[in-house]
Amino acid sequence: MWLAMTSRAPVISCKGLAYKYPGATDPSLNGIDLEVKRGEIVLITGPTGAGKTTLCSTFNGLVPHFYGGRLEGEVTVLGRDVKETSAGYLSTKVGMLFQDPSSQLISATVEDEVAFGPENLGIPVEEIAQRTDSVLNYMELNGLRERPPFALSGGQQQAVGLASVIAMKPEILVLDEPTSNLDPVGTLSIFALLRKISREEENTIVIVEHKLQELVDIADRIVVIEGGKIRLEGPPREILAEDAVILHERGLQPPQVSLLAHKLEEAGVPIEKIPLTVSEFLDTFSGPLQALKRPVAEYQEKGSEPYQTESRPIIEVENVSFQYPGGVVAVRDVSVKFYKEDFVGIIGQNGSGKTTLVKLLNGLLKPTLGSVRVFGLDARQSPIHDLIRYVGYVFQDPDSQLFSKTVYQELSFGLKNLKVPRDQWDSRINSVAKMLLIDSLLKEAPYSLSRGDRQRVAIASVLVMEPQVVVVDEPTTGQDPRKRREIMELMKVLHDKFGKTVIFITHDMDLVAEYAKRCIVMKEGGIVLDGVPHQVFLHYEELEKTHLKPPMITLLFKELGKRYGLRRDILTVDEALGYLKSKLVS
Amino acid sequence: MAFEYIPGQSLMHRLDPRTKVLFFLLVTVLIMVIYDPIIMFGLLCAIVLMYRLSGIPLSKLWGITKALLPVFIMFLVLNYFVIPPRGATVYFYLLPGVAPVTIETTLIGITSALRFVLFIWLSRLLTFTTSISEILIAMVKMRSPPEIATSLGIAFSSVPLMINQFSTVIQAQKSRGSQIEVRNPIKKGISFIPVVVPGIYLTILRGMNVARTVEARAFTYNPKKRTFRKKIQLSHEDYVFLMISGLFTAAAAAIRVLYGWFDYTFILRDVLKLI
Repeated sequence: MWLAMTSRAPVISCKGLAYKYPGATDPSLNGIDLEVKRGEIVLITGPTGAGKTTLCSTFNGLVPHFYGGRLEGEVTVLGRDVKETSAGYLSTKVGMLFQDPSSQLISATVEDEVAFGPENLGIPVEEIAQRTDSVLNYMELNGLRERPPFALSGGQQQAVGLASVIAMKPEILVLDEPTSNLDPVGTLSIFALLRKISREEENTIVIVEHKLQELVDIADRIVVIEGGKIRLEGPPREILAEDAVILHERGLQPPQVSLLAHKLEEAGVPIEKIPLTVSEFLDTFSGPLQALKRPVAEYQEKGSEPYQTESRPIIEVENVSFQYPGGVVAVRDVSVKFYKEDFVGIIGQNGSGKTTLVKLLNGLLKPTLGSVRVFGLDARQSPIHDLIRYVGYVFQDPDSQLFSKTVYQELSFGLKNLKVPRDQWDSRINSVAKMLLIDSLLKEAPYSLSRGDRQRVAIASVLVMEPQVVVVDEPTTGQDPRKRREIMELMKVLHDKFGKTVIFITHDMDLVAEYAKRCIVMKEGGIVLDGVPHQVFLHYEELEKTHLKPPMITLLFKELGKRYGLRRDILTVDEALGYLKSKLVS
Repeated sequence: MAFEYIPGQSLMHRLDPRTKVLFFLLVTVLIMVIYDPIIMFGLLCAIVLMYRLSGIPLSKLWGITKALLPVFIMFLVLNYFVIPPRGATVYFYLLPGVAPVTIETTLIGITSALRFVLFIWLSRLLTFTTSISEILIAMVKMRSPPEIATSLGIAFSSVPLMINQFSTVIQAQKSRGSQIEVRNPIKKGISFIPVVVPGIYLTILRGMNVARTVEARAFTYNPKKRTFRKKIQLSHEDYVFLMISGLFTAAAAAIRVLYGWFDYTFILRDVLKLI
C-alpha cells in the first residue's frame, strides 16, 4: 500500500511557476502548473521561445541558481524546494542533456566525458570504470572511446552527451531535443533506447521534442507549451489525434496521417477514430479504401533515372574526390551537374559528405581529384573571390559571421570586398533587405536581433553580392517546424520570384518532399540517388540503407499502393488529400 | 599545438608526472653546471635518443627546432655584445670597436644557445609523453584545488573546438569576399576584425556553455570529495630513474665545484689539448 502510494507520488511538481531572466522584459514562464510522476515519460513540445528549455532548467536548479532572475511560485523536485536547493545537489538527481550537442562536451576523450559526471559524484574508481564500460557498450560508442568528442559527427556527439548523462544514473532524465542533429534512423534508435531505460531502470524522463509522431507510443503524456503557459496536456493519442489540426496551426508537427484523416473527415469522409500511425490509418479507412481497389496497379514504379533537363548546366562537377588533410575522404568520385532552374535538396546521413560537396562549389575547398566548373570558371584555379560572385554560401550559424555595428554595415561587407562602387550600395542593400523583409532593421545591431532575423541578415549579406546560386547549409537545424517552413518559404520566393538557383542541405525529409524540385541523396561521400523527389522517395530500401526515411505520408502510400493499387508517388499531406478526396468523396 | 600528447607505452610515458617534473629540475641543474659546448652537444644527442625511444617522430622535433633557429642565432650573436673578453686573442669585431670575437665568447655563445635548445626539447619531450589528465592529477596530488585542475583540463580540451569554430568563421567571411590572406600587415589586421568579433562572441558563448554543463554534471556538488579516476603512483621504475638522474647530476655538480671541470674549453683545452 505504502509502496503503491510512493510510486505514484510526483517527483516534479510546479505550482504557479513564473520566471523572468535577468534583464528580460517579458517572463519566460508564466504560471505553469505541472506534476510529473515517478516512472513517467513526459513529452514537452511547443514553438521556439515558448519556455520549454527554461522550464526544464528549473528541474535541476540552473534556473534560478545559475542564470539568476526572479522565480515565483513553487517548484519541488523529489520533495525539495528548488529555490532552497543548490544546482549542484539537484544535478546529482536530475540529469540534463542540453540542446546543442557540442556545447556540452568538455573533456579530451569520449571516455573522460562519460566518466566526468560519476567522478563528480565521488563514486569509487572501479564502479566508474564499470559504469563507463556498460554505458559505452549500451550506446555502441565503444569504438570511439579514445576519440576527442569535438571531432565526432553531430549525431555521435549527441549520443556521447546522452551517455554522459546516463552514466550518472540520475533518477530523473531531462532531455532537451536529444535528436535535433540526428538522421531519421538515428532518431528512432535514441527513442527506442529511452523506452528501454524507462522500463528497465524505472527512470522518470522529461523530453523536449518537435518530432511528435515518433514518440506516440513512447510518451505517457504530452504537454504543449506556448508563451510560457501550458496550452494543451494529455495522453499523446488524445492530443495528437484529436488536436492535430490545432497543433498544425500552431506550427507544430502532428503525425501526418492524423492530419490527413482530419482533413478527409472535413471533406465528408466518415471516420470513427483519428489514426496516429500508418497501420491505424489503413485500419480506419479499410472500408472506403476497399471500394477503390483495382486489379491492376495504377502506378508503376519507375527505375532510377538520372536527373534530366533541357538547359545547359551552370555548375559541372566531374569525377571529384576530396580528402581532408587528416586523410578522411569526404567526397568520392562524384559527378553531378546543376542547372539554373534547380531547387535542390541534398540529404544524407551525418558524415555523408553533403557539406564538403557544396563547399567545393564556391571554392572554399578545392577538389583533390577531378574538376569543378562554375559558370565556365575552373574552381581549382579561380580564387574564392571570383567564384562567390556566382555561388553564394550561407553558413548554418549566423553567429559565426555577423560582426558589424548595424545591419546596413553587415550587408555592405560583401559589397566592399567585391569593390562594388559605393553609389550602388544603397539600391542593392535596400532591394535585398526588402526581399528578406528586414528593411526595417537596417539601423539595428545584428546581435540584438532574434535568431530568425539574424539568419535573414546572414542570408541577405550573401544575396547583396548578387550570386545566381544560393547554397544554404542546414538552415533548418535547431528550429521549430514553423521557423523551418518560414526559411523554406523564403527560399521558394528567391527561386520562384527572383530566379535564383537554390541548393539546400537538411535532415528534414518533409521539407525536401514539399519544397525541393530535385533531390540528391548522399552516402559515404558518393551520390546514390538524384532525381525529382517524387521518384527519389520511392526508393524506400536505398533510403533505409542511407539512414533516411521518406515522409510518413509516402510510407502510407507505399502500403496503399501495395494493397489497393493506388499511386505511390505522394509526398505531402496536401497532395494526399487532393488525390484521396477525388477518389473517396465522389 | 603547445600541449600535443602522443600516446605510447615507453618509459617516458610510464613515468609518474611528478617524476618527470623532478627529472626536469635535475636536468636544469645539470645544464647549469655544464659550460662545455661539446658536452652540451652530447646531452642534446641524448635527448634526441630519448625522443626515438619514446616513439616520437623526429619530424616533430624538427618542427620545434625550425622555429628555434632565429633564437639560437640571436643567443649566439648577443653573447659577443655582453660578455667581455678575458685576455684572449681577439680575432675581429662584429661592429667597429664593439662585440669582439674570441674563442671563449664563441664557445660561451654556442653553449648558451645549445642550452636553450635543450631546455625546449626536454620540456616538449615531457609534454609529448604526458597527457593533460595526468598533469591535472599530479596538480591535485600536489595540493592544488580540484577546481583549478578541472578548469585547466576543460580549457585545454576546448582548444581544438575553438580552432574549429574559428576556421568556420574564416570560411564564412571568405564566402563574403573577405581577403584574409593579404600581405600588407595593416590591411591584414583590419581584415581580421570580421573574424575576431564573431570569434570573441563564440568564445564567451563557449565559456557560458561549459559553466552550465559543469554545473549540470554536478561538479559543484562536492568538489573536495570528487573522484579522480586515473591514478598516478610512483613505481620502482620512477625511483630507479630518479636515483640515476639524481646521482648523475650530483656527481657532475660536485666535480664542477671541486675540480672546476666542464668549463667552456674543458674538452678542447684540458682533454684534447687542442688550444
